[in-house]
Amino acid sequence: MSISVQTQFTGATSLKVTPFHERTSVLNQSQEWRRWSGYLSATAYDLTHDIEYYSIRTKAALLDITPLHKYIIEGPDAEHFLDRLVTRNIRLCKVHQVMYTPWCDEDGKQIDDGTIQRLEENRFRLTSAEPNMEWLTQNSAGLEVDIFEDSTATASLALQGPNSRAILNSVADENIDSLKFFWLTDLRIGDIPVVISRTGYTGDLGYELWTSQDNALPLWDRLTEAGAQFGITHTGLHALDMARIEAALILLDVDYISAQHAAIDLRKSSPYELGLGWTVKLNKNNFIGKKALEEEHRNGPEWQLKGIEIEWEPLETLYRKVDLPPQLPGMAWRTSTPLYSGNEQAGYATSGCWSPILKKYIALAHLKTKYAREGTPVQFEVKVEHFRKTTPARVVKTPFYNPERKRSCP
Amino acid sequence: MSMNRKYDAIVIGGGHNGLTAAAYLARGGKKVLVLERRHVLGGAAVTEEIFPGFKFTVCSYVVSLLKPNIIRDLQLPRFGLELIPLESTFTPLEGDYLIRWADHDLTRRELYRHSPRDAEAYDRFGKTMSQIGMAVRPILNTIAPDPTKLGLSGTRSLMQLGRHFRSIGSDKFEQLTKLMTMSSADFLDEWFEFEPLKATMSASGIIGTFMGPRSPGSAYVMLHHYMGNIDGVFRAWGFQRGGTGAVSMAIARSAEHFGAEIMTEADVRKIIVGNGRATGVALENGDEFQADVVVSGLDPKRTFLNLVDASDLPDDFVQSVKNFRIRGSSGKVNLALDGLPDFTSLPGDGPHLGGAISISPDYDYIERAYDDAKHGSFSKRPYIDIVIPSVLDPDMAPPGKHVMSCFVQYAPYSITGGWDDGKREAFGDAVVNVLAQFAPNMKDIILHRQVLTPWDIEKKFGLTEGNIFHGELSLQQLFFLRPVVKWADYRTPVRKLYQCGSGTHPGGGITGAPGEMAAKKILKEWR
Amino acid sequence: MKSYDCIVIGGGVNGLTTSAILGKAGKKVVLFEKREMVGGLASTEEFAPGFRCNTVLDSVPWFNGSVIADLELENHGLRFEGANITVTTLESVGKELSISSDMDGTRRSIAQFSERDAERWPPFCNKISMLTDFLAPLYKITPPPIPDLDLSAFFSMKPILKPVRKHGREGVVELLRILPMTMIELLDEWFESEPLRGTLASAGIRHLNQGPMAVGTAFNFLHHHVGSGSVCPVQFVSGGTGMLADSLRSAAENAGVEIRTEAEVSSIILENGDASGIALTEGEQLTSTTVVSSLTPHSTFQLVGQQNLAPRFNRRLANIKYRGATARLHLGLKSLPRFTSLDENALKSMVSLSPSLSYLEKASDAAKYGQVSEKPCIEFTIPSLREESFAAAGKHVLSATIQYIPYHSRGSDSITLRQELRNNAITQLENHAPGISNIIEEEYLLTPTDLESKFALTEGNINHGEMMLDQFFFMRPTIDTAQYSTPIENLFLCGPGTHPGGGLHGTSSFNVAMKILKEK
Repeated sequence: MSISVQTQFTGATSLKVTPFHERTSVLNQSQEWRRWSGYLSATAYDLTHDIEYYSIRTKAALLDITPLHKYIIEGPDAEHFLDRLVTRNIRLCKVHQVMYTPWCDEDGKQIDDGTIQRLEENRFRLTSAEPNMEWLTQNSAGLEVDIFEDSTATASLALQGPNSRAILNSVADENIDSLKFFWLTDLRIGDIPVVISRTGYTGDLGYELWTSQDNALPLWDRLTEAGAQFGITHTGLHALDMARIEAALILLDVDYISAQHAAIDLRKSSPYELGLGWTVKLNKNNFIGKKALEEEHRNGPEWQLKGIEIEWEPLETLYRKVDLPPQLPGMAWRTSTPLYSGNEQAGYATSGCWSPILKKYIALAHLKTKYAREGTPVQFEVKVEHFRKTTPARVVKTPFYNPERKRSCP
Repeated sequence: MSMNRKYDAIVIGGGHNGLTAAAYLARGGKKVLVLERRHVLGGAAVTEEIFPGFKFTVCSYVVSLLKPNIIRDLQLPRFGLELIPLESTFTPLEGDYLIRWADHDLTRRELYRHSPRDAEAYDRFGKTMSQIGMAVRPILNTIAPDPTKLGLSGTRSLMQLGRHFRSIGSDKFEQLTKLMTMSSADFLDEWFEFEPLKATMSASGIIGTFMGPRSPGSAYVMLHHYMGNIDGVFRAWGFQRGGTGAVSMAIARSAEHFGAEIMTEADVRKIIVGNGRATGVALENGDEFQADVVVSGLDPKRTFLNLVDASDLPDDFVQSVKNFRIRGSSGKVNLALDGLPDFTSLPGDGPHLGGAISISPDYDYIERAYDDAKHGSFSKRPYIDIVIPSVLDPDMAPPGKHVMSCFVQYAPYSITGGWDDGKREAFGDAVVNVLAQFAPNMKDIILHRQVLTPWDIEKKFGLTEGNIFHGELSLQQLFFLRPVVKWADYRTPVRKLYQCGSGTHPGGGITGAPGEMAAKKILKEWR
Repeated sequence: MKSYDCIVIGGGVNGLTTSAILGKAGKKVVLFEKREMVGGLASTEEFAPGFRCNTVLDSVPWFNGSVIADLELENHGLRFEGANITVTTLESVGKELSISSDMDGTRRSIAQFSERDAERWPPFCNKISMLTDFLAPLYKITPPPIPDLDLSAFFSMKPILKPVRKHGREGVVELLRILPMTMIELLDEWFESEPLRGTLASAGIRHLNQGPMAVGTAFNFLHHHVGSGSVCPVQFVSGGTGMLADSLRSAAENAGVEIRTEAEVSSIILENGDASGIALTEGEQLTSTTVVSSLTPHSTFQLVGQQNLAPRFNRRLANIKYRGATARLHLGLKSLPRFTSLDENALKSMVSLSPSLSYLEKASDAAKYGQVSEKPCIEFTIPSLREESFAAAGKHVLSATIQYIPYHSRGSDSITLRQELRNNAITQLENHAPGISNIIEEEYLLTPTDLESKFALTEGNINHGEMMLDQFFFMRPTIDTAQYSTPIENLFLCGPGTHPGGGLHGTSSFNVAMKILKEK
């Protein structure tokens, strides 16, 4: 951290604050916040977000992810209910396993995506970007299942980065070396009971920690203290946004719009169109949207979400013409940007960033299927000194960045 | 008298619709005269200083529906239109409250406190209503065809509507059908569970009507109110700075800017008809004015039963006008206050006083208020929609003091035995008592009180039965049936006599739409 | 496993009609009825030793002529009695209003109250018959899918154009104007005398939870007049309403339909989301390529299971409004009750206690708050005067339809409300027939709750869903099931929950049978 003057920030907010607010509000150097589900959420704790970004990729980043919506689903029909709700086969999800899955409306259009943790045989935790209580309760009709909102009762943190495992091993009462990707475990940190899942939104080695809100501050303090020697860094949303683009993880309301909220049908997307075809299990029992998805599977999706890479040399040339070095986005952007192929619009990019670790300008893009094949060249619209230009880009394989350590165990 | 006794067009009534029509006609190059019976302009949309220092928008009190294209066409901001948005809707309850804010997160959080499910449904509801508002808008902007005599253009416009409805899809069409036919309570029950939320929302389905929230048909009125549009945001209500009267004044100044003449204290006695054609008007004081076209901004009953000789109209038309339903159901209580009300459930001064305050704790409360009215008396415990304009606009009251405007239902026009001073005061007391139940300091801070019964409103503003919409917004009085079938396109059986008031399509509220569309029709037909 | 071409659930008029028509067309059909007898709402039963009654409905003002002809129901014993039946309204003692198909008699009766109204009666009757002329063909067609009309659906609506040729476009506009009216608005345009307004309005509120000031009651009024040809139509079935069911049963059996009573369907079996058969409570399973349910939409889809329905349809289903508010009271009487001012002829016709609009409106107010009416609206007849078999010699049965007792009660428990309603009704009857309570031997009261458990009527609504404008035509029962087919392939609805709605007329079931024969 740079030189800082001891001061006390005070302010009033009508927004919600997380149980970590007592810490985060003091740490937030610029006092810049973003709204996340009605909560104040730090965009960056330091005055720039670069250090935080690098901590995700090279050290360990600690993020407050409490604003995620969380639901506890339990009862004899809990498995049946979730299996009917989501596209993946929940019957295959073992106790302590976690599954990432989207869920759709009956037209096969995606409503939201999140993780399902199987805490016990008949007890699950579902996370989501948007509130889903109404949809969940509505679809539980006729089934023996109880659904509880768990969003405020459970505080959650993400600890992401190559050193995250070492930090947890140094504080937990159990070694987590054997905890596999998308599994979870119950353990204690000091005397705090914590559920740790090996999940995250960075595409790196990382964990998410779930505990009762009463334990929020002691947990934060313990991790901060023990993490110091491993370079633990409090990290905000700007850095996270870049990491998730590198990992090609989509974001609701940025890369797609929930079918529940889209004003027009054209704005809705199916999992196939969002690159989540692998999550759609057409062989399992009937689930919401199955008929429509079967048909889409037969005919192939109209659109596909893909990664694109903007080529460096032509971009540099464009800027050289106005005597400038390439002006690269310092943080992730989320304005829809047209992509062309010849005179036709091939699609549009929904979010992108300069990847500091890859040294590449990357973006997530919706492409008409005929332009979605890997290697397809497209023209990316860019504004160079107030003038619109296009510059070549091509469709590439995602994730853009996919370190071996994400999945491996020591 | 002046030499300018011959005009291209005379508009009877200086309310917002009459003025809008006049402004459009003047803008179209016509020589226009507006005749207003009272000493002030604005009709129901008028602001007066009733008690020294306290300015009241006597009758209508919030603005939301004024069409943006009228604001643009008539350059109203240039002539003084300044809308201040309401900040919230506050429903005090026994021991608790409900507030909806302009901010999405705050509203969601507040709703979540009462019902997590409703907090989520609220977003989808808003989306659905705005989509349906969009789906209906083309109808509001269509001059109603005469379905009994479809000419080429009538057929074309009906076919366009048919295609339009096909294009909106069955989900929205289903919702639209429900809105057209259901009660606001039933409609809202399909979406929400928290009763005070539902009751408060349902209230917009009863304002200006003689219905309760459980009366089928009230859902449409709710939709009508949902089409409010400030800055393109649906259901965004606002005050006019200086009171609603300033809206009318802005339209009047715009009309004058385009060359219209406006005359107040000019009480029209009759419309002069010769050979089945309107040729001018005669005033109570004996003056007469000639014009090529006469446009009435009054309600259909006043226009056709009072100002035109029955012998100049077809019998079935007169019968239909008589059958046209105008039922007064609301009263107005204006209070000059020494301070701000202090609500038990949310004490002190705060942003909740800068918005609408709705006394609508549950459906039953409003239904019982309606029952009283239905059986011939005013509501003992009425539904009240309150605004305190002086919180947002300090010019409305002396420093430290406030004006409170209470729109009250139900005060039936046809109260058993008729209204008298005793009933008026008892009605005022009923309102104050209900207010005091939620804000106990009310009785101590009232400096002056003005109570307007439907009789007062009728007498003062010339609104039949004191009905603010110039006729019920019921299904059989909409579109090509408003006010009378075959005569829903602003024309009348008397040639060169047109109507432009809220009694014509698309109906009441400070929209300006009937005035605008009538003027456009007149200009199109001008020969 | 036994296999059929078609399985019909529910042995009411509609279930019987569909199965008989399908059977007659050569299909192998089986019908299941939970009760020990078929008939449903068209049942005539012994409610106490020696006393019989038409359990739910006394009058059948209209039965679909195509069904009668197709199934030759007259050969199976069906006879209607429609002549010389009056509706007598009791205002105060000595002042009765009698309405019947006899125009002059009715005018004279109205004239006691208002000369002006008497003069307006004939044009009013013409107006109503003009309006029902428009509705009649509409009632006979399958609603097209609105708003996604394709050309063939558009042409299927051709029959409804016929009345336009007769009455002109003005007629259509008049219909559109009147359908959404309240009964009060409609009557304000015509009549001033309260007993007449009350009597007419009682048809507008029949079986609704709303009062005459509710939008759409004018529509409900017209609904009760479609097909009948007169105002305030009453028509009895000779031998009791149950004879209608019996004739249908006989026609069905004659057509080879297997009818199984005391056989309750416990679920509709799905295969890949499509209906493939049914299971009975005792475990037996049967397969079929067509399952037709005459139950309410709610009861039908309970058999499918909500967890097997798509979210949107579940939501639509949950939003169907039933809200029964009508009770039936049958009194077994020691002797013929003496009504101060009614003769025997009036008593064997229909008598109405609906003296004014405000009487009805006040009665309905209670329903809004989940209470029973202090002064209920009552319609009764003494069927034992027509049918000897209904009671032992000298004894009689009085059957009354009473409004309002809301299904969703609040504040009081259902037993208290039941008692209250019974007492309120008897008090009203006492006013006109002093001493009637002393001759009551047997009582049989069916509240909406009872109707629900006895006849699987959701919320006790005998129309299988409110007859209001938001649940009419292409919206009945939901926008995606108005063509009688459902989101579950092979499963059809044929009850009054579908177009054209309530009443014993067999029209929806006729339409369904035609649809199935065409498609399968």
